[in-house]
Formats: sequence, C-alpha cells, structure tokens
Amino acid sequence: MDKLNENARERKQIKLGEIDTGPILVALLLGFIAVAIFVILRRRSAGRRDFLLAGLSESGKSAIFMQLLHGKFPATFTSIKENVEVYQAGSSSARLVDIPGHYRVRDKCLELYKHRAKGIVFVVDSVTAQKEIRDVADFLYTILSDSATQPCSVLVLCNKQDQTTAKSAQVIKGLLEKELHIVRDTRSRKLQSVGDDDSSKSITLGKPGRDFEFTHIAQNIQFVEASAKDQELKPLTDWLARLL
Amino acid sequence: MLDFVVIFTKGGVVLWHSNASGSSFASCINSLIRGVILEDRNTEAKYFEEDHLAVQFKLDNELDLVYAAIFQKVIKLNYLDGFLADMQLAFKEKFGGIPAAERLGGDYDFDREYRRVLSAAEEASAKQVKAPKAMRSYNESQKSKKTVASMIQDDKKPAEKRVNIQESPPPSKSQQSSPPASMDDIIRENRRKLREKLTPTKKTSPSDPKPSKSTASEKAGKKPRVWDLGGNSKDAVMLDRSKDTPEDVQYQNINSELVGTMQGVIRDLDVESEDEVEDDDESSEEEEQVQSKKNKRGGLLSYFKGIVGAKTMSLGDLQPALEKMRDHLISKNVATEIAAKLCDSVATSLEGKQMGTFDSIASQVKEALTQSLVRILSPKRRIDIIRDALESKRNGRPYTIIFCGVNGVGKSTNLAKICFWLIENNFNVLIAACDTFRAGAVEQLRTHTRHLNALHPAAKHDGRTMVQLYEKGYGKDAAGIAMEAIKFAHDTRVDVVLVDTAGRMQDNEPLMRSLSKLIKVNNPDLVLFVGEALVGNEAVDQLVKFNQSLADYSSNENPHIIDGIVLTKFDTIDDKVGAAISMTYITGQPIVFVGTGQTYADLKAINVNAVVNSLMK
Repeated sequence: MDKLNENARERKQIKLGEIDTGPILVALLLGFIAVAIFVILRRRSAGRRDFLLAGLSESGKSAIFMQLLHGKFPATFTSIKENVEVYQAGSSSARLVDIPGHYRVRDKCLELYKHRAKGIVFVVDSVTAQKEIRDVADFLYTILSDSATQPCSVLVLCNKQDQTTAKSAQVIKGLLEKELHIVRDTRSRKLQSVGDDDSSKSITLGKPGRDFEFTHIAQNIQFVEASAKDQELKPLTDWLARLL
Repeated sequence: MLDFVVIFTKGGVVLWHSNASGSSFASCINSLIRGVILEDRNTEAKYFEEDHLAVQFKLDNELDLVYAAIFQKVIKLNYLDGFLADMQLAFKEKFGGIPAAERLGGDYDFDREYRRVLSAAEEASAKQVKAPKAMRSYNESQKSKKTVASMIQDDKKPAEKRVNIQESPPPSKSQQSSPPASMDDIIRENRRKLREKLTPTKKTSPSDPKPSKSTASEKAGKKPRVWDLGGNSKDAVMLDRSKDTPEDVQYQNINSELVGTMQGVIRDLDVESEDEVEDDDESSEEEEQVQSKKNKRGGLLSYFKGIVGAKTMSLGDLQPALEKMRDHLISKNVATEIAAKLCDSVATSLEGKQMGTFDSIASQVKEALTQSLVRILSPKRRIDIIRDALESKRNGRPYTIIFCGVNGVGKSTNLAKICFWLIENNFNVLIAACDTFRAGAVEQLRTHTRHLNALHPAAKHDGRTMVQLYEKGYGKDAAGIAMEAIKFAHDTRVDVVLVDTAGRMQDNEPLMRSLSKLIKVNNPDLVLFVGEALVGNEAVDQLVKFNQSLADYSSNENPHIIDGIVLTKFDTIDDKVGAAISMTYITGQPIVFVGTGQTYADLKAINVNAVVNSLMK
C-alpha cells in the first residue's frame, strides 16, 4: 500500500515537476491561430453585400435614396457625408450607400465602400448629360477601371426623365461610349504621381485596339431610365431585386 | 426678417424648413456647403455671404445635422447665434430619441417650437438694445493702458510728438490680413508729405552745386555725356553678346534617352523612399507580423467599442491636442495662419461629437485632421489637360496656358518640362516669350526650343516642327506679344500655346496691373501660378495678393483668377510638404503639376495620400 502511495506520489511529483511545457504552448498557439483564421475568414466572407449610389453632384442620388427607402421626395442639398441605410426587398435586404457627388469627398468615400460593393448604380442627369459628358465619363471611367469594382454589376440610371429635354438611355449610352474611348486614351498618357501608389492599380478598359464598347468590359452594365420626382423607379427596384 | 430656416442632415436631406418668402434658396445653401463646409473654412464666425443674402449656420456633430438661417445681408441680426443654439436644444429635446436608422424616415413637425424659440430670441435682443450701455470700468478704459511717461506734455518739442502720433495708426492698419491697395498708397503718400514738411532744408541743397558743374563742362568743350545705363537701340548691335546665332551654337550632347520616357508610365518618386531603402528583409517581415497582430488586436477592441458608453468631446478637451497638431503642422512648413484656421475648423467639426471609451482625443483629432487635409488637397474639379487640349483642337482653337509667379520659382524651367510632356503626347506647341524684362529670358527659351526639337525632330512627326518660339525681343509690351502669339498659333494650327511671363513681386502694383491686363486681353484657358515648395508663410501673402490683383484690376464681372498651381522644387524638401496645403487652402484650386528636378522628365502629378501621410507622420 505504501509502495503504491509512494509510486502515486512520485508519479504526481514527476508530473508536476517536469510538465512538458512544449506541447501545451504549441496547443495554445495552434488554438490562437485557428481562432484568428476563423475571424479573418468571417470578415472576408462578410463579402459584398452593399449597393452604392454614385454619380456627379446634382444628379439626384439623395432624392433617389429617399424615394426608394422612404417613399418621400424632400428637398435635398449637396451631401457632405454618405447616407447609409438598409434596403428591404421582400425577404432579402442589403445596405444602400449614397456616396456624395462632390469632387472633394467622392473619392475618399468610394474608397471606404467599394470593397464591399455588390452593385453600383451610376446616376446620370439626363438633361445636362451632353454638357457635362466629360465629367460624367471621367467619373464612370474611374469607377469601372478600379480593381476593387471588377466583380460588381453596374446600372447606369438616366435620371430626371420627367423633364422634356431629357435624353434617352440609348443616346446617353452612345455619348458615353464615344467619350470613354477618348478618356481611355488620355488616361494612359497621364503623369505618374509623386509617392507610392500601388494600392489601387487601375485597369485599362475594353480592347485596346478597337473603339470602346460597353460589351468589352468585365462588369455587367445596363442602361435604364428613371425619374425620382415622378416615382418612376421600377427599373431600379427590378434590378436590385434580381441581384439580391 | 428671417427668410429661410432649415435643418438638414449632413447627407443632404432636408428634415424641416420654414420658408417665409416664396423663393427657393437651394442655390444659396449649396454655395454655403461647397464654399465653406467642404472647403474646411468653418472658423468661429460661421457666417457666409452671397449676393444679397447672408447665411448663419451651426453644425451639430452629434446627430450629423446642419442648422442654417438665411436673411438679407443688409439687416444685421445679432440674436442668431443664441437662436440657433436654442433651436438645436429644442430639436434635440423633441427628436433626439429617434434611433439613427429611422432618422430619415420620420416626419418632423417643428413649427411650434421654432416660433417659440424665434419669439424668445427676438424679445431678448429687443431688451438688450433698449438697455442703457454700461459704463466702462477704469480697467477697461484706454487711460489705464497708457504709461505715465506718455501722458506728460512737453511744450519744448512739439514736432517729435506729431511724428509719434501719426506713425502708430499705420502699423496697426497694415497688420490687418488684407488691406486694400489704396489704403497703403494713401498712407505712403501721407508719410512722405510729413517727412517733407519736417525737413524743409533738403529741397534747396541740390540746386546750388548744379550751376557750377554745368559751367565747368562748358569750358572743357562740349562732349556728349555717355551714361553707363543709357543708350539707344542703335547700340544694341554692339552690346549683343549672345552667342546665339545658329553658327555659334555648339550642339552639346543631347539626352536622347529622355525621348519616350514621358509617355505613360514614368519612374516614381517616393516621398518616403529613404525609410524603405534601409529596411532589411527580415525586419520587414517581423514588422508585418507585428502589424497584423496589432490589426487583430484593434479588431477585437473595436467589438468592445460599440458596447461601452460614450463621452462627448468639448472644446476644452480638444484644445491641448489641437495645439500639438498645430505646432506639428507648422513644423512641416504649413503657413501659421493656415495651420491655425485648419485647427479651428477641425475643432468645430469635432465639438459635441460622441466618442467611444477606447478612442483617445488625440486619435480622433488626428483622424479628423487627416480627413480635412485630404479634402483640401483633393481637386474640386476634373483636371485633365490632355483631354481639354484635345477638345480645343477639335474646335480649331489653340489651348492657352499662362504661367505667372514671383521671381525665381522656376517658371521657365517648368514651362519647358510641360512642353516636353505635351510634345511626347503628340501636341504641337508654341512658346510665347512674354518675359521681356529679364536678361537672357528669350535666349533661355530659345535653347529649350532647340533642345526639344532635337529630341523630337520634325522628321519623326510628319515634317512638323513640334516646338516653336514666338518672341519679339526685350522691352516690348507682354500683352501685345501674347496676343500676336495666339493669333499666330491659330493661323498656323498649333495645338497648345504656353506663355511665359516675367517674375514679379506680389505688391508691385504696376507689374500686377500689367499681368492682369495680359490675362484679360488674351483670355487663356488656364492660368497657372508657379510656386516653390520651399516657401513658408510667404505663400499666403503671395497667393492672396496675386488673386486679389487679378480680381481687382480686371474690369470684368467674372475676373479670371488663378486656375491651378504648379508646385516646383519638390525634390528639395524631404517631408516638409506644408507649402502644398497652404497654397491649395488659400486659392481652393488644385495642384496641377509638381516639379521635382531640372531635367525634362522631372514632372509629376500630385498624390494626395502620400502628401497627407508625410504631413501627419
């Protein structure tokens, strides 16, 4: 009996005395790494579930936002910050982000949201599209050539169709194709900037030798007409429902 | 009296408004947003004027709202500050409980509270007006501030006293940030007259020796006097020491390796290149691991941030952090005034904002400052010179760019670099040498033209000379030369005209007038101000006065002011890039080019993130 006890005590002492700390540490480390990988994977698979409303200033993004989400048409001013709300379509929901159109804030805002974007709605003012075609094309090119937006679907919404001088979606599509062809050319000749800039490499759109056409680019792009004032947003809601 | 009161979110949606007159004030509010809030010019005043309307506004950073009241500019309402603060309190009381998600959807019936607050404010101000003005106490009066010695009257020396009294007001007037030019002139005139009055003997002294000198020369036999700096154009041939005729020119080795480098991708200039070169591979790997762990830790903490309660920031809390930030900016060569204004603007945008317990005030201030710096440096319109030049080419007119700036900043050098970039991209360029004052200016441009033509010979471009120089020598009127150059470009179908002007100090009135005339007469597409990155507080003065002169001396309603900035000598500053901020803040115009050296390939565009990073480092 004493021998058994002694053996037990010896074994216990051995266990306490020479606890092999190696495997325990390895186990802890593995556990930590597993948890970390889990957290990272979860964040990444939070993935793309946002819809962005982008476009030039005064094209009607905030009005469309309010019309879609609250069915109201209040007066709106130039947005300083983005509007973010959850959009419900039947059973599924997604976040709708209204990016301010003003030149100074739009890039920074887009930067924050473009990685989680599933679809981009590019709003164009159909009345002034001809006059401002260069600015519109410039912004559209920036969005389309960004590496983070390659998997997104794009809907070009020609807003303000309630006005009599509004151009149709086909006309705007033609204008944009011609303008984007030139923008692609001038962008390739731009000066390199001071300092590092490999965070967002831009991609040349379309096929280099031929005229630019929207069918050549990686994103799935469509043109529709709408009017926020007259609550004619059916094409937009259909497109959103299809993507959700 | 108040035409329009509105409460709208920072996302642009109007929550409530009260329109006393029928017209729409949307354009006024939009100008307020674009001119003040987005330009980070919200200083303490919170007041903005446009046409005949004035706006008083207040930012609510906790609920992300803006309260604005529009009234006629001529009516001075002094109760508006208190009124807006009371409105804010009343609004928060009534609607503060609504959670963020439903804020945009609710109906905001605020009319009753608005009328109540308005009548209370009007009564309070009426009472204040009627109350008798309180007498100043001795400590507040002027008398207590004077020293005893200054008040002792000494009848024996009245002249000195007069000088003293007249000298003290002008310095205080000149300390104002932007005195009108006429005031300076009047003061200078008065001072000169006073000095003449006090020293009456000076005038008569030169007259006496003159007659004796003239008689002596008559006796020696009349010889025409040869003055050192005189002469007429007949002597020009003798004085022309330029080795500029084609026979004299020795073609030095031309850097033909420069050809083709400015098309598309060019070597980068890192702003932080020194640090990266010193890193070893091992240490960089370790750093990455440490950084990723830090990110993970930050990520875990951010889960807690949302749970723990919030604390609002007050001005007193923000002040020490803002002081440190302001000193940091000044140490990075941002002009003092600009740094102070920026910190004020950050204070107004952070005041009252809630922050989580794990956020420190310093980090919030730093983040807000970074955001506002990025906003300032980001251009407010699209800059694409090649696209615009193509458009002008299509319309059959030349695209004109005028370079202006003070002496010695690098106008001619950077003009040559931009010219090289344009001919690399297949544009025909005409250089107009409108610097008719500086010795060697025309020769410098001629040398550049020859070098550029050697790099891009006519044979390679369908027999067209890519660069031509239009010059009329020295001493002529710059505006006339520019006009003729543009006409010549139009006739010979040249694509771009680059006009080089003489360097001039910003407070030299006749030269600023002539620059304004040059710009008004020739109506260029782009007026570029060339400024060096080494300049410190002087940048504020230069740009303010240049812009003001261009606006004042032009007789148009919409004068053509500076459209863009060329920042030169960027390679001489390591990370003290503050001049970029000063210049863009004052004019609100973007930096179009950055000059980083003296060869033709040293022309870059600005990278906003890199500059802001090196400023905040």
